[in-house]
Amino acid sequence: MNNKPRSQFCGRTRREFLWEMGAGFGSVALSGMLESDFFTSQAVAADGLTPLVNPLSIKKPHFQPKAKNVIFLFMYGGPSQVDTFDYKPKLYPLDGKTIKVKTFGRGGRKNQGRVVGPKWQFKRYGKCGKMVSDLFPHLGQCVDDIAFIHSMYADSPIHGSAMLMMNSGRILSGNPCIGSWVTYGLGSENENLPGFVVMLDHKGGPISGAKNWTSGYMPAAYQGVQLRPSGTPILDLAPPPGMSREMQRRLLDRLNQFNAEHGAARPSSSDLAARIASYELAYKMQMHAPEAVDISKEPESIKELYGLNQKRTFDFGKKCLMARRLVERGVRFIQIYSGGGHNDDNWDAHGDLVKNHTFHAGNTDKPIAGLLNDLKQRGLLDETIIVWGGEFGRQPTAEYKKGTGRDHNSYGFTMWMAGGGIPGGVTVGKTDELGAHAIEDRMHVKNLHATILTQLGLDPNRLSFFFNGLDQRLVGVEGAEPIRQLV
Amino acid sequence: MTSLWVSFFLLPSFFLQAETNQRNLAADASKTGKDGIEFFDKEVFPFLQRNCFKCHGNDPHKLRGHLWLKSREGILKGGDVGPAVDLKDPANSYILKMINYTDDEHQMPPKGKLPQEKIDILTKWVLMGIPWSPGTGEARPESEKVATTEINEHTRNYWAYRKPVRTSPSKVKDTQWITNPIDGFILSPIEMAGLAPAPMADKITLIRRATYDLIGLPPTPEEVDIFLADTSPDAYEKLLDSLLNRPQYGEKWGRHWLDLVRYAETNGYERDSTKPFAWRYRDYVIDSFNNDKPFDRFIKEQLAGDELDEVTAETIIATGYYRLGIWDDEPVDRKLQKYDVLDGVVTTTAQVMLGMSIGCARCHNHKKDPILQKDYYRFLAFFHDVTDMNKKNTIVVKDAVAKKKQEAILKAKKAKEEKLYEQIRRFQKDFRLALEDNLELVDVKLSDLSDDDDEEESKPLVADARHKGKPGPMWSYTSKNPGRDWMKPGFNDKSWKKGQAGFGSRGTPGSIVRTNWHTRDIWLRRAFIVTKLPGSLALDIHHDEDAEVYINGKLVSRHRAYISAYKRFNLKTEAVTALTLGKNLISVHCRQTGGVQYIDVGLSDSPARVDIAELVKKHGPELMGASKTKNYFSWKSELDKSLKAKVKSDGLTVMAVKETGRRTSPHVLHRGNPHLEGEKVEPGFPSVLGYPDPVIPDKPGPTSGKRRVLAEWIASKENKLTARVMMNRIWQHHFGRGIVSTSSDFGLFGVQPTHPELLEWMTMEFMDNEWSLKKMHKLLMMSSAYRMSSKDNPVALQKDPRNQLFWRFNMRRLTAEEIRDSILAIGGSLNTKMGGPSIYTDIPMEVKHTASRPGAAWGRSSKNEAARRSVYIFVKRSLHEPFLRTFDLADTDQSCAARFTTTVPTQALTMLNSKFLNDQAAIFAGRLKKEAGDRPEDQVKLALRLAFQRPPKENEVKRSVEMIQEFQKTDAKTLEESLKYFCLMTLNLNEFVFLD
Repeated sequence: MNNKPRSQFCGRTRREFLWEMGAGFGSVALSGMLESDFFTSQAVAADGLTPLVNPLSIKKPHFQPKAKNVIFLFMYGGPSQVDTFDYKPKLYPLDGKTIKVKTFGRGGRKNQGRVVGPKWQFKRYGKCGKMVSDLFPHLGQCVDDIAFIHSMYADSPIHGSAMLMMNSGRILSGNPCIGSWVTYGLGSENENLPGFVVMLDHKGGPISGAKNWTSGYMPAAYQGVQLRPSGTPILDLAPPPGMSREMQRRLLDRLNQFNAEHGAARPSSSDLAARIASYELAYKMQMHAPEAVDISKEPESIKELYGLNQKRTFDFGKKCLMARRLVERGVRFIQIYSGGGHNDDNWDAHGDLVKNHTFHAGNTDKPIAGLLNDLKQRGLLDETIIVWGGEFGRQPTAEYKKGTGRDHNSYGFTMWMAGGGIPGGVTVGKTDELGAHAIEDRMHVKNLHATILTQLGLDPNRLSFFFNGLDQRLVGVEGAEPIRQLV
Repeated sequence: MTSLWVSFFLLPSFFLQAETNQRNLAADASKTGKDGIEFFDKEVFPFLQRNCFKCHGNDPHKLRGHLWLKSREGILKGGDVGPAVDLKDPANSYILKMINYTDDEHQMPPKGKLPQEKIDILTKWVLMGIPWSPGTGEARPESEKVATTEINEHTRNYWAYRKPVRTSPSKVKDTQWITNPIDGFILSPIEMAGLAPAPMADKITLIRRATYDLIGLPPTPEEVDIFLADTSPDAYEKLLDSLLNRPQYGEKWGRHWLDLVRYAETNGYERDSTKPFAWRYRDYVIDSFNNDKPFDRFIKEQLAGDELDEVTAETIIATGYYRLGIWDDEPVDRKLQKYDVLDGVVTTTAQVMLGMSIGCARCHNHKKDPILQKDYYRFLAFFHDVTDMNKKNTIVVKDAVAKKKQEAILKAKKAKEEKLYEQIRRFQKDFRLALEDNLELVDVKLSDLSDDDDEEESKPLVADARHKGKPGPMWSYTSKNPGRDWMKPGFNDKSWKKGQAGFGSRGTPGSIVRTNWHTRDIWLRRAFIVTKLPGSLALDIHHDEDAEVYINGKLVSRHRAYISAYKRFNLKTEAVTALTLGKNLISVHCRQTGGVQYIDVGLSDSPARVDIAELVKKHGPELMGASKTKNYFSWKSELDKSLKAKVKSDGLTVMAVKETGRRTSPHVLHRGNPHLEGEKVEPGFPSVLGYPDPVIPDKPGPTSGKRRVLAEWIASKENKLTARVMMNRIWQHHFGRGIVSTSSDFGLFGVQPTHPELLEWMTMEFMDNEWSLKKMHKLLMMSSAYRMSSKDNPVALQKDPRNQLFWRFNMRRLTAEEIRDSILAIGGSLNTKMGGPSIYTDIPMEVKHTASRPGAAWGRSSKNEAARRSVYIFVKRSLHEPFLRTFDLADTDQSCAARFTTTVPTQALTMLNSKFLNDQAAIFAGRLKKEAGDRPEDQVKLALRLAFQRPPKENEVKRSVEMIQEFQKTDAKTLEESLKYFCLMTLNLNEFVFLD
C-alpha cells in the first residue's frame, strides 16, 4: 500500500520505482506488492527455496475493513431508473406530452421530448417502504437490505466510454478496472483461484470486450479472469485430452528435476524459484477451480432460491450461485454481466422498452434476490458488497417519434448497493420530477468507486499506482469522497 | 430546470438592489459595512463552511482548482480560472456563474444545485462586495516551495538538461579486462567497491545471449557449431556482424520501438475498428532498423515525413506515428477528444524522444520537474493543425517503384490503342475508296466521311444545355444593356450574374430551362479552353428569337426569328481562325419580341458527319469482305473498351498524418479542460532547456511546417536529450535495465543514472557515429561488460544484490514474442516471411466470446501464416493475443518503456494445457523423429540441444528417456505420444525460457 503522507502529492516510494522499471529487475511477482520491501524479499529468495510470492498474495488494507469481497452485478446497456427503482408519480400523466427537458444520449443533445410515462406500477415494500416497480417482485422483498442511490451521474452517455468509466473510472481507454485496483490493493484470499473474476452473458461480452476488465498499465496479473458457467471454467485450466492428473504430476516431477538442477547453479535467481512454484500453484488450481464452481452438490432448495428451476432464470441464477461459492472461497472481486452483445441483447432499450426490460429484469430479479437472501442466511452478506447498476440510466422521454424506447442518460440514474456494511433501507439523492437529472446529493461514478474501496478498508485517495509521472488512482488524481450516508 | 430560468430572472433585481447597496455603501460605509459583516457572520460564513471548505479551504494540499475560499484574499485571488469574485463587476463574478449551474462546465457545489434561497444569499453577499469579518476564516497557508519545479540556474543545470560532454573513464587496476572504453566506466566503480567483475561467459552462453538480444530467436545447432569451431580472435565479432545483418534484427528491435509508440491496429472503444494499413508503419519500423537508418532521420520521418525536402512513400508511412493512439469514434465531447488525442501525441513524443514527462503538465505545472503548464501547450502547438482522427486517416502515395510501374502500364495501353486505331483508320480509308467506286449505294457526300474516327467521342468546346453533366454549363449573363464592347474578351463582366444554360421561359418548345429569362434582351458570355486548333467548327443553337454569336469578339453567326429545336450549323472558316489556343470567349446576344423565349448555344469542333460505322455495317461485308469487316468491329470494340478502362492508380494507401491547412494556435487550458481556455500560445520548446523560440517558416503550403521545426530540433545533435535517451534504451535492452532505469523519464520522478559518465560517453559516441544504432549495438556487445557471465558471487551479492554496479550480467526471461517464436523455431515450423498485413493466430473460442461480436472478434490465417513471427500478429486493443498477453505483452494504450515480467500460475496453465503448446509439442516431436531417427536417446538429445544450445548432460538424457518409458508403461501412451509429452515438458523448462 502506499502509505506516504498526503502532503507529498506526487512523491513515491522506492517500491514504486521498481514497478516502473518493469522488466528491469527481477520479476514483479516478487517485488511490488509485498508489505516487506523488495530488497528483503530478494535476500530471502536467494536461498532458492522461497515459495512463489504471488502478486495476488494477501495484503493489509489501510484500515479496518467492513467488507472483504465485492459482487458487481453489471446491468449492461443501462436500465431505466424511472421504470425500476426511482418512482416518479408525476411522470405517468405526462405520457405522450412533449415537454422541455435537457437530454443527452446516443441521439445527441435535445431540449425537448415526448414523455414516455413509466411502464410499470410501483409498490411499497419492506419496513422502509421503498417504492419498487413491478419489474422486481422478488427484489422488492429485499429493500430493507438495500441502499439506493438515485442521484448517480457519469461523464458519458455513450456505451463505449461510459462502460470504461463505470469499470475504470475514466472515459479514456487504458486504465485498470476496479477489480484490478481491488486485487492490487488487497490481493486474493485464495491463491488457488483468480482474485478478479468476470462472468459474461451467454450472448457475448459487452462492447470493448476485455477492456472492461483490463489491468491497463498494471501487470496482467491483475486483469479479470473470465469464468465460464459451463465447460472448463477458466481458459486452459483442463489438461489436454489424454493427460490424466497422475500423468501430469509425473510430467511436472520431471520438469522439476530439470529446473532444480538448473536453479541449483543459479541460487540467487528468485525468478527461477518463482516459476517452479507457479507450476505447483497451477496444478492445485486445476483441482480447486472446478470444485469452486461446481454447483451440482448444492441442495435443491438453494437452486430454487436462485431460480435454477426455471428456464429463464437458470443462466443468471447459476452465475449468482457460483458467485456465492467464489465469495465463500475468498475470491475478491466478481463481476457478473446481465446482457451482452448489442441492442436488445442487453438493457439498451432504444426500441420497445416494455419488451426489453421485462425480459432482462425477469431473467435477473429472482436470482439476485436469491443471492442476497442466501448470502444473508449464511452471514456472508455482512462482508460482501453487492453493487447493481449499468453504465448509465435512461431518459424520461422517447428516443423516436413512435414507441417507448428511451435513449441513454448519464445526467441522472440509479444504482444500488447492499451488504458489506452498507446500511439497508436507505435512499441517497434525488433526481428531478422527471427523473432526468440528479439534483440532490449528486454522486459521480467516482463516489461510488470510493465507497466500494472504503468499505474494503482502502482509502480511495491513497490507493495509488505510479505511472506516467503521476500517482494514478481509481478515483483520479483529484480524488473523491465515498458516499457518506453509506459508509 | 425551471429553477435555472427563475434564477436568471431574479438576477437583474438583485443587481438593482446591489446598485442601491453599493450607493448606500458609499454613503455610509460604516453602517452598511456593519450590516454586511453581520450578514456575513450570520448567513454567509456558516454556509461557506458547510458547502465549500471541504474542497476549497480545509486542506491546502487538496485544494480543488487551487481556489481558497476561507479568506477574502483567497476569493479575490481566485484559482485556476481567475478570481472567484470580481469587485468591479460583482454581478458577473465567476462564483455566481458556478452556483447558478450555468452550463455543464460551471456547476458548484458538485453534489447538486443549491436551493434558491441559498443562491440568493450568496448573490446578495457578492453584490455587496463580499464583506468579511476580520479574524474569521483562515489565510491560505504559504504553499511549500518546491524549488525543483522552478526554472532557475539550479534546475537548468540538472544533469539531463545540460549538453552532454565527452567524458573519459577513470583508471582501473585490471587493465586486461578493458576491451573498449565502456569497460573502464563499468570496472572502475566495481573495483572501488572492492569487487571483481564476473568471469567471462562461455561461448555457448554468449551465442545464445547475443542471438536472442539481436534477433529474438535461438541460434540453430549449426550456428552454434560454426561459432564453436571458429577459434579465430574475431569469431565473436563476426558473429555480431552476421546477426546485425539478419533481417530478423529489425523484427526484434522494431518491436521495442513499437512498444514505445503504443503501436496497435485498432482504435479501441465500442467498435474497436481497424486502423487501415497500420501494418505499413510496423514494416517501416522494421525496415528502418534493418537498414540502420540514422536515428535522427528515423525521428524526422515519423514527426514530419510529409514536410521534408524529399518526401517519399516511406516518409509518409512514417507519419502513421500520429495515428497510432486510441480514438473514440463516438466521443462524448468532441473538443475534449481532440485534446485527448493530441495529449497522446504530446505525452508519447516527449517521453519516447526526450525522456520528459511533459504530459504531467496538461492540467497544471509539473509537480516535480521544471515543466510549466504553458510548456505543455507550447509543445502541443506543434501538432495543433493535425487533422482529427477518423476511421481511415489514409492517403494514397506513390513511391518510385509504383510510379514506374504505372507509367509502364499506361505506355503499353497507349501503344495498344494506337495500334488499334491505326488498323481502324486504314480500314476506313480503304472502305472510303471502295465506296467511291460504288457511290450509287449510299446517299452521302464523301466530304462528310472523315478518315478520322476519334472525333466521335470528343467533347464539345462549349457544351449546350443538353449536356448531361451536372450542373449545366455556366454562363455570365445580364439583361441590362452592357454597352459597346460587351462581346470582347477584355470586357469586365464581373457585375454580371451567373447562371446555368439554357436561358428562357418554361414551355418553350425543345428547351431545357435552367435559368429564367423574361426580359427583352439577354447578353451571355462564357470562357472556354482550346487545346488543339480544330479544322472546322459547328454551332449548335436553339434560339427564340434573334441571336448573334461572337467568338473572341468576332461575329461568327447571326440567326433570325425562332426555331423550336436545337439545330447544328457549320461555321465559316473565319470562325475557325478566330480561335486561339488556350482561353477563348464565346458571347451571345438574344432579343425577343413576344411569346415564349429561349437561347442556348454550344460549340463543337466536329462538323456534322455521317456515322461511318453505320455505313460499314451496311456495306462492309459487300465491299470489304466479311472477315475484314468483322475484324474492324472487333478492333473498334477493343479500342472502345481500352479507352473506357481506367488504369488503377497503383499508389499505396497509407495511414498518415494530415493537416487542416489552417494555421491555428492552442490556448492554455485551465485544469486541462478544453472549455476553459486561457492565453493563446505559440509553438515552443520546454522552457527549462533554454532554447530560443522556434521560427516557423512563413511559407504557405499544405501543412504548417511546424512539425518539421520540432523534428529538426529533436533530431539534432544540439538537443540535450534525444541521443541520451535513445542510447539509454539501447543499453537497457542489452543489459536488462537502463543506466537510467526509468528510461522514458529522465526527470526527478525518474531514477537517477547509476553510471552517468558512461551514458555521456556513449551519447557522444552515438552522435559521432552519425546516429547509427548498429554501430552502438556492436560497441556495447563487444565490451567485456556484455560478455560477463551471470553467475552468482556471494560477496558481490551481499554488497550489491540488485547489481547496480553491473558486476555480472543480468539473467532475463524471454519476452512474450521470444517465447512464442522460439517454440515455433525449435519445432521447425516458424515461417520467417516478413512484412505485409497482420496475421491471426488460432485462438480459443472462449477468448473470442469475450467480445460483443464474437464472430467478428478475430480473423483467420492459414496454418503456415499463423506460424509467422509474433511481431506480425494483429494488434487489437480490445482483444490482445492471449498467449502474448499472458506473458506480459505491452499494453497498447500508452507508451511502454519497459515491460513487466510477471510469474503467475495462469502462465503455467497456458504452457501445459493450451492447444497451441500441445500442437507445437506434436510438431516438435515430428521434427525429432525426422532428424534424429527412431531412438529415443537420439531424439531427446536433439530436443534438449535445440532448447538449450548446449549438449545435454548424460543424466538429463537418461532422465528424459526414462520419462518417455514411464509414459508408455504407466500411462499406456504410445511411443509417439510419449515423445510428444516429453517435448511439452521441454518447452516448459526454465532453461528454455531464461537467458544466462
